[in-house]
Amino acid sequence: MAIKVGIPRALLYYRLYPFWKTFFSSLGIEVIVSGRTTKKLLKEGLKYAPDEACLSIKVAFGHVQDLMDKVDYLFLPRLVSLERGTYICPKFIGFPDMIRSAFDNLPLLIDTSFNLRRRPSNLFFPMYRVGRIFKRSFLSIYGAYKKALEEESKYLSSLRKGNLLPGVLSSWEKKRALRPSNPKGNLCIALVGHPYNLYDSFVNLNIIKKLEDLGARVITPEMVSPLEIKKEADKIPQEVYWSLGREIVGASFYLLESKSIDGMIHLGSFGCGPDSFLRELIADRARKHQEIAYLSLILDEHTGEAGIVTRLEAFIDLIQRRRMLKS
Amino acid sequence: MDTYLGIDVGSISTNLAVIDEEKRVLAWEYLLTGGRPIEAVQKGLRGMEKKFAKGLEIKGVGSTGSARHLTGILVGADTVKSEIIAHAVAASHLIPEINTIFEIGGQDSKIIIVRDGVVVDFAMNTICAAGTGSFLDHQAQRLGVPIEEFGDLATRAKAPTRIAGRCTVFAESDMIHKQQTGHATENIVAGLCQALVRNYLNNVGKGKDILPPVVFQGGVAANKGMKAAFEEELGYEVIVPEYYHVMGAIGAAILAQETIVQTKKTKFKGFKVSEVDYKTRSFECTGCPNLCEVIEVLMNGEVISRWGDRCGKWEVLEK
Repeated sequence: MAIKVGIPRALLYYRLYPFWKTFFSSLGIEVIVSGRTTKKLLKEGLKYAPDEACLSIKVAFGHVQDLMDKVDYLFLPRLVSLERGTYICPKFIGFPDMIRSAFDNLPLLIDTSFNLRRRPSNLFFPMYRVGRIFKRSFLSIYGAYKKALEEESKYLSSLRKGNLLPGVLSSWEKKRALRPSNPKGNLCIALVGHPYNLYDSFVNLNIIKKLEDLGARVITPEMVSPLEIKKEADKIPQEVYWSLGREIVGASFYLLESKSIDGMIHLGSFGCGPDSFLRELIADRARKHQEIAYLSLILDEHTGEAGIVTRLEAFIDLIQRRRMLKS
Repeated sequence: MDTYLGIDVGSISTNLAVIDEEKRVLAWEYLLTGGRPIEAVQKGLRGMEKKFAKGLEIKGVGSTGSARHLTGILVGADTVKSEIIAHAVAASHLIPEINTIFEIGGQDSKIIIVRDGVVVDFAMNTICAAGTGSFLDHQAQRLGVPIEEFGDLATRAKAPTRIAGRCTVFAESDMIHKQQTGHATENIVAGLCQALVRNYLNNVGKGKDILPPVVFQGGVAANKGMKAAFEEELGYEVIVPEYYHVMGAIGAAILAQETIVQTKKTKFKGFKVSEVDYKTRSFECTGCPNLCEVIEVLMNGEVISRWGDRCGKWEVLEK
């Protein structure tokens, strides 16, 4: 029977899943992903997670709990840094330790460190260490790694063509052609924030669908090319040293400057340190673009649907009325 | 006469307003929602109908407020808009040169930034409800001051007491402490108004471009102490419009007029709605681990609308 490795559907899952899944599958290992976030899963997460953790970490605890009895190994890499000069949030770095101290009877943890801050090209080394747990052959591990890179680059380029992540991820998983999304909306709204907030439709109360129902086309940071992100992020006098934060700010600034959007919504989670800075940085830049409306929303485990709906409706109405009065 | 009806159903009060083609307010109704939005709307409609002996020709209806969707279904609204837009539309109609709107209602507070008659920015209170109507009501009761006299009392204060207004819980314990150390009631009341204004400007108004003229509306605008505290903090006059407490309803009526220009015919079910037996009930869907609370609206025992489910499977009604 194939060995089963569990990957929580949380945190960087939304970005790195195709890479990880391809790597493990190529080594003959079965990958099990936790179910979608539900009220029950979040409740379980809240039971085990430290109170002062951000919403996203609490959700991730729920996903770990969901996988516990289903897998031989839990893949919780210690993500320190994935690119030159930036760090992943410290809560991610400590995530495997938090999990270890919160749960008894855990499956074996794979918590290999990924610290590529000095040498981004060294991704293979930690992956090799992961591979060695299961296989002795260098060549088969290297082969799996190469294939994983290939799949990841296909995945990322599909995102950059302007396809929304949930659709791309599910078409990748099912090996089905991507159904071209056909948004009818006449407004273009940039939804910016951490991927695990933007794409977990439970956590964000299905915000993408709500925006589409209100007549908006949604653009996210994943659609912006790394080159444009770097260009904008480099202009900030004080370097943003969180990987995702840098990307969110760079992409937001690019979208604001490109003048191709009608509005921008920053989606943050309650208790997230980086978000509290990003929100202000982006708001400050957005104020310089009076023609683009800006809204900041904070998600927490109690987020009432009514509050989100009222703000979204008002935000879209504001843009529509502005347009109506102009013409 | 052609008229438009606006209905604003909030957490604490339910307001109705009727305007004519020139957007003049012909009549208004202000009643407490009392946790029963359907009854409040029906009572409001009955009250409104009685005001017009010759009958009313309603050409369009708009609903707003936190129960806007429910109200929209009950009365057959032509437009259902959030309270932010409704308040902004009403305020910029009455005072066209308006730049900022403070709106403090029963359970929420908002700031709306308007430039050239268009909303450019807004914010609502997030986690904290300090300074909203319910809190003032509660404190007035605790101090033994009828809420109607609260504002007058505050304006008579000679030396407002400094109260911690960050949080209602702290504000309350601070007030009790100040009472026990012998501060006069009017000074405490005035101090409370100042604390709430500081809290409002620092939380809801944080980072917003507050420029005069400022309009202050919503139920709390009736409190002269709050108006005075705003003026002291900002250093200029804050305008409380004549219909400050029914601005949402006026806005909804104006929005209805705008909608009818395009749709021509109203969906209004008529004043007879107030006689119909409406009920709501809820149940927990056990179809998946989300356990959504689904709400049903029944008209004469028949389900006419459902919401509250994340997946949407209950929203579609089987005929």
